[in-house]
Amino acid sequence: MQHTQEKWGRPRDDVYGPYDASYLNSEPRTQTLQPTVTGTSVIGMKFNNGVVIAADNLASYGSLRRFIDQERLIKVGSETVVGVGGDVSDLQTIEEIMEGLEISESYDEPAQSLTAPNIHSYLQRIMYKRRSKLDPLWNALVIGGFKNDEPYLAFIDLLGTTYTAPAVASGFGSYLAIPILRKLVDREGDQQNVSKEQAVDAIKEAMKVLFYRDGRALDKYSLAILSKKDGKPDVEILKDVRVENQNWSMAKQIKGFGTQDE
Amino acid sequence: MAGLSFDNYRRNKSLEASGVLPPKTTSTGTTIVGCKFNGGVILSADTRATAGMVVADKNCLKLHRLAPNIWCAGAGTASDNDKVTELESSQLEIHSQWTGRAPRVVTALTHLKQHLFKYQGHVGAYLIIAGVDVTGSHLFSLHAHGSTDVGPYLALGSGSMAALSVLESKWKEDLTKEEAMELCSEAIMAGVFNDLASGSNVDLCVIEKGKPSRLHRGYKQPNQRLQKQRNYNFDIGTTSYFEAGSEVFYISKQSDLETSAMEVDQVS
Amino acid sequence: MSRFNPYGDSSGGSSLAIAGADFAILAGDTRHSTGFSIDSRDQSQIADLGDGLFLTSNGFSADAKQLVDDLRTQIKWYHHNNNDHKLSISAAARTTMMLLYGKRFFPYYVNPIMIGMADDGTGAVYSFDPLGSYDREPSRAAGHASELLMPFLDNQVTFANQLDPQTGEPRKRLDLDLQTAVDLVKDAFTGAAERQVQVGDTLEIVILTKDGVDRQYYDLRRD
Repeated sequence: MQHTQEKWGRPRDDVYGPYDASYLNSEPRTQTLQPTVTGTSVIGMKFNNGVVIAADNLASYGSLRRFIDQERLIKVGSETVVGVGGDVSDLQTIEEIMEGLEISESYDEPAQSLTAPNIHSYLQRIMYKRRSKLDPLWNALVIGGFKNDEPYLAFIDLLGTTYTAPAVASGFGSYLAIPILRKLVDREGDQQNVSKEQAVDAIKEAMKVLFYRDGRALDKYSLAILSKKDGKPDVEILKDVRVENQNWSMAKQIKGFGTQDE
Repeated sequence: MAGLSFDNYRRNKSLEASGVLPPKTTSTGTTIVGCKFNGGVILSADTRATAGMVVADKNCLKLHRLAPNIWCAGAGTASDNDKVTELESSQLEIHSQWTGRAPRVVTALTHLKQHLFKYQGHVGAYLIIAGVDVTGSHLFSLHAHGSTDVGPYLALGSGSMAALSVLESKWKEDLTKEEAMELCSEAIMAGVFNDLASGSNVDLCVIEKGKPSRLHRGYKQPNQRLQKQRNYNFDIGTTSYFEAGSEVFYISKQSDLETSAMEVDQVS
Repeated sequence: MSRFNPYGDSSGGSSLAIAGADFAILAGDTRHSTGFSIDSRDQSQIADLGDGLFLTSNGFSADAKQLVDDLRTQIKWYHHNNNDHKLSISAAARTTMMLLYGKRFFPYYVNPIMIGMADDGTGAVYSFDPLGSYDREPSRAAGHASELLMPFLDNQVTFANQLDPQTGEPRKRLDLDLQTAVDLVKDAFTGAAERQVQVGDTLEIVILTKDGVDRQYYDLRRD
């Protein structure tokens, strides 16, 4: 113990060493500082009585094509699908959270059915809470389902930012897929004039362009088609869908990078 | 010898470190595309120039004529594009007068890439070069660092991915001129409506073998200014002032006027 | 290694409010953007808080949502505790300040504007800074285009630095009639959409009078 007036109460420097103030300059504890194993874009669009969502099956480790059978569409409740991009371990955390939500909601009698707006709100609160703890879940989420029998489509990112639109996409999809999807559904309400077949075709076309141009995309993906038949939800998740009708005919025209003829 | 002088590089770095920021440049955050068709090639661009998130020019021209048969579209720093294309068009004209032949597209390409490589990307010109010459029709892209690419359809700029989404899903071999014009303008429109840095109108240039090149300025104009609701003229006397007065100046000789004008004002 | 940044640039475009003698207007565009991408063309940024109060908060949109949720909770509890007594706009503004200052060292990155009818029947506009400093004002603009909109409002609503040509005296702030105010809002936004890339798609206007609420929609540029 030191007894001089300005230092009393402190351990003696000659015995314990000077006060170590380094922790004052250290940074707060954080978990995911950067994503490791990641999934690329998730895309989705509305049609006249439902929603289509797609995400490919690749989990990348940086530029390594690490896992080629990663499922990134999660069915939650009976009429909602959540598509997840970004960190895959955080995806699995979200999967567990969704499982927990389903179980706790099933205790009620009669069991309340979870709707897309419920799940959207719940996930948004989780994402915003985690960003506020500076410990984000490094994901972008696309939520598709129904609100009062009308198609419902929403987006959430790792900061808790959220919005709804008739066509949404994460990652590269927001640059490459959105222009294709917006040709059918530019503003809210346009989906009234779009059939399920048109929507599925547009999503398939967008997945093809993403495979062409996104270096972290795969030509194998899952496709969720959610529709309502007589007020009843019908959720169809097609797995191992392949990118079809690719056109590589331009390749033979390209020789060198300018002045080469042959 | 000109070029490759980085004398001011360290000075600029230290100025930046001390808080003196480099001036903000006008960027043509842009969508530009090019596409070949049977008998020629097409270039197309949007017309928005931005400074940050503010629109600097609502109807700028991003298609530049390098020679009567060679045009190029520019993305990146507006001033670099203007200057580098102006310089190249002069060089091509001199070259074609010296050789007595119409310039070739690869000549423009090679000369431009050597110039840009020399400046290591500091000259921020990103170009799509298109033209027809004695060897056929050509379409190239050129990045600011000097790398080049060939292809039957190309897109560059911040809206390039929106444009590519159209090109990748709709391009096919053996396009007619009309089909290629429609494809290019649709690709630019995808950039105009989906990329915030691209906007306003679509310009389009058709370069055809054996025909004069045709620039369609304002080929599509999907974003007309909405009519104002009110009139914003001020009544005379609205602005306060301390005192009013006037002085009359007489011009003694007509030549006083002429010499005061700058030389550049009289050109074109 | 770079630190995680809890703030983003996702935002609704811009908003604007004008207070009149017997009305208040709150307007905003419906474009939601991140970087150079348009996220949604139909994301309303005008929140109906109930009790005749409407709020926009421009800035980081996740914080804006949280602030609205907080305010709704506060108003709900106020009703529970006070026999459903209507919350006055002056009290709501003070509550907003408390919520904002409550996060002084991890602020909500927003510039809120609230409108309502004041107790004396006049239209009220309250505007806030991110930390909670606030004031009642004749007009206010916030968001990306605030630098474009605010000088226009100073000029056309408060007639700042203008003389009356007849008298030579400074022009008095006339009480705008509703139609003029709505026209000013439309011209302000069509002008802002010309020059600010994050403003566009649809203009949503909420008009508050003693008779109730009117919502109007007008098209803006979509590029």
